[in-house]
Amino acid sequence: MDIHYQGESLLPGQLGQFFIVLSFGAALLSCISYFFATKYKEDASWHKIARIAFFINVVSVIGIGSCLFYIIYNHLFEYHYAWSHSSRTLPVHYIISSFWEGQEGSFWLWMFWQSILALVVIVRGKSWENPVMTSVMLCQTILASMLTGIEVFGERVGSSPFILLRQALEAPIFTNPNYLSMITDGNGLNPLLQNYWMVIHPPTLFLGFASMVVPFAYGIAGLWQRKYKEWLQPALPWSLFAVMVLGAGIIMGSFWAYEALNFGGFWAWDPVENASIIPWFTLIAAVHVMVAYKNSGHSYFTATFLVLISFVLVIYASFLTRSGVLGETSVHSFTDLGMYWQLVAFNITFFGIMVYFLVSRWKELPITKKDEETYSREFWLFIGALILVVACVQIIATTSIPVFNALFGTKVAPPVDAIAHYNKWQAAFAVLVLILSAIAQFLKYKKTTPKVFYFNLLVSFVVSIVVTGVLLYFTKVYTNFMYVLLSFGAVFALVANARILGDAFKGKWKLAGSSVAHIGFALLIIGALVAAATNKVVSLNAGGSIPIAGFEEREKPGENLFLYIDQPIEMGGYTITYVGDSIAMPNVYYKVNYERKDQKTGKVIERFQLTPNAQQNPKMGLIGTPSTRHYLTKDIYTIVTSAPKLDGPEEEGHDHEGHDPNEGYEEPAVQMVNIGDTLRYKNGFIVVKGINRNATLQNIPLTSGDLLFALQLEVHAVTGETFEADPKYLIKNGNSFDFAKDIEEQGLRLRFTKIVPNEGMELMIYQKPLPEKKWIVMKAIEFPYINFFWCGTIIMTIGFLLSIFRRNKELKGKIA
Amino acid sequence: MKKGAILGIIIIAVAIAMIISIYTDSSTYATFTDAQKTESEIHVVGELNKTKALYYKPTEDANYFAFYMLDNEGTECKVVFNGSKPQDFERSEQIVLTGKMVGGEFHASKILMKCPSKYNKDQVEVTESASTNV
Repeated sequence: MDIHYQGESLLPGQLGQFFIVLSFGAALLSCISYFFATKYKEDASWHKIARIAFFINVVSVIGIGSCLFYIIYNHLFEYHYAWSHSSRTLPVHYIISSFWEGQEGSFWLWMFWQSILALVVIVRGKSWENPVMTSVMLCQTILASMLTGIEVFGERVGSSPFILLRQALEAPIFTNPNYLSMITDGNGLNPLLQNYWMVIHPPTLFLGFASMVVPFAYGIAGLWQRKYKEWLQPALPWSLFAVMVLGAGIIMGSFWAYEALNFGGFWAWDPVENASIIPWFTLIAAVHVMVAYKNSGHSYFTATFLVLISFVLVIYASFLTRSGVLGETSVHSFTDLGMYWQLVAFNITFFGIMVYFLVSRWKELPITKKDEETYSREFWLFIGALILVVACVQIIATTSIPVFNALFGTKVAPPVDAIAHYNKWQAAFAVLVLILSAIAQFLKYKKTTPKVFYFNLLVSFVVSIVVTGVLLYFTKVYTNFMYVLLSFGAVFALVANARILGDAFKGKWKLAGSSVAHIGFALLIIGALVAAATNKVVSLNAGGSIPIAGFEEREKPGENLFLYIDQPIEMGGYTITYVGDSIAMPNVYYKVNYERKDQKTGKVIERFQLTPNAQQNPKMGLIGTPSTRHYLTKDIYTIVTSAPKLDGPEEEGHDHEGHDPNEGYEEPAVQMVNIGDTLRYKNGFIVVKGINRNATLQNIPLTSGDLLFALQLEVHAVTGETFEADPKYLIKNGNSFDFAKDIEEQGLRLRFTKIVPNEGMELMIYQKPLPEKKWIVMKAIEFPYINFFWCGTIIMTIGFLLSIFRRNKELKGKIA
Repeated sequence: MKKGAILGIIIIAVAIAMIISIYTDSSTYATFTDAQKTESEIHVVGELNKTKALYYKPTEDANYFAFYMLDNEGTECKVVFNGSKPQDFERSEQIVLTGKMVGGEFHASKILMKCPSKYNKDQVEVTESASTNV
């Protein structure tokens, strides 16, 4: 068993593993010390230990990252992580994304953000530091345990990124001490992830996830320390921050899917997508009731509950995506790394903490017995939050079908048309939320005069009806009642909030944040609605295919279009031509020209080229990346779904011995011909002009008894070119020989092989297979008004940012 | 009646509607034999019969892809998909089809594949050229 392996550099891994253990120990110590520092306030030494342990944790987290990066960057393939996620050809920026392709790397990312956020808590937390950091460090401890990969009582805890390839896999080559020299390259990064959005999307998403621990920790701290009201104020900007970052991260993922993946859309209600949007919904709801509580004293329990449950749902989301429980329902979840029960324990721990504090403090919570006024903002904020929660429950319920299957041993499959199923419910909830976000802006806290309220509402209502009409006319979504309602809801929210924004410019700038965020949300919904409802596949292949058996009874036209090189095809108002490709290994860029002509004059009014690319990945086959033409009002999305395989250099096998002289040609056609005959071949025709009885041969002198004939042929190619050929037939000393003529340009070999008196001459026509014409199969989709979706996102993020500034200032006491 | 009570009733009503909706929308994992008996769209889980050829000839029809699949009971059925061949189809380990039987063929409206992921199926590839110095 003692093999001395050569060439391994074990130091970075050992160092990394040391940092993992150190980070775990330090986080645990810090958590415990913060706990006692909270309990025994008079003893400052606990606080000191906790801080020192925390800083050791930060250093070791950075140490883990550095070691892992060193390993990947230097292509140390003796490490499983580097071998399975990276390769030598990977450019540096993708080395960064290979860092978090695996579960271990993404856990590290979470830990890293959490320690940065914890630093901010320490700097700004003041009296909150001890209790808040107790929860944060508990989470940090659990995350660190996910990376340890140490066996405890025969069970492996966590999965270390520093495991060696020979430890991770069993293969005969590992008996060879020099095995490393045989492993020349890693598996490389999944080509789908080789996109610059994959460099930025995961860090943003994980920053969002990580920052949710802070409001949770404040909530627990508030309950634990019985500072029931005080915790909400510092938790509010943190919640806004988490909502902003997570929202941006989710939409970045959606943009990545749209720009780089072949899903043909921006949101597919995939369980992995749902997992990230669930906590976002609950925290959004939480933010609203937190504001309501702050201004009215109502909805205390709802606010607390939502803040706490949001982080529990973050953990539930990581359980869904990382435990392998989603199985066959999702295309892109991680597979189980053997951490199923550890993730379950993570969930139970935080859920347990939340339940414990809510139950044990229940009687002391400042819950008002009084009913809210109907004409008050807090009441409708509460209703809005409730709707968001119900919407969330619907997503959780359907997404969790595989979890229920695992729990109860059932075998229920998710809805066949998942998108329609979710849209049916979520569209209705969206209408309600949008309308509420308009109405609530006209209400004051505590009590509003109904008359003023109805007057304001009526004006906005009328304006909205008109604008909705215009919108429906242009976007053509009036076909469906739900679309009409949703459009109206969005426009109503837009108009009402624009009015509030107008007031903000007049000096009530405090309100700007919420109105900007709501405007952004309304635009986002409009964009999503119009793009999702009216996007259409423009590459419809109606009847354009060659009819062969079994194809005729097709119910709908296909969505893929077949294009030969240089053969223009009409598609959705465009004339498209596949004009060639350029290769930048490992990507092949297929150039497709789009031309739009004026229907009357036939003049070309628009011309552009799209270059969808496809990676011919030896491990994964053809991986398409779309190319999109962006207009202000629509996008034309084009993707290659099939293309001929590129010829590898090894495919040509010319040099082997004993080959047939006619190799490379197809089976010959043998024909008896006479002078004046015309014969077809693949690329044209051949005319037999005559026979030359006085032919000569260059190398063979003829003697008197020899007979030599040459067949005079004229080859006419379809291109218009003509070639002459004279294959010869020789009878020498009673033996017959023939001398073939090749026409290289046409891939032809002609043999004159026999003369049969009274019948004619035998001609053998050998043809090379025609060089295959280049072709691609592509799909094109038109997405109208999708820019609303992206714009809405940006505006919404700005709105959140404004709100964060405002709440932060409140925190500092500058404004009341 | 208090507003809270009214709200509670509404929420319970919506919740019941949602449960019914999930129940009616959800389908079942079935076999080809089950699919034969029903008109509605269902999920069939199985694997590609790799001994039989895939049929996809884009030069003839870019939207016709056919293959043979074995369901979990081992029943074989020809599957027709109105679209292009999904990327990396040959390497799939498990296939989840959504669709219904039309005659003797299963017409799939959606194909979901699980490919040998890098996370669980590791196979070390050794290149010949590098091993010469042993």
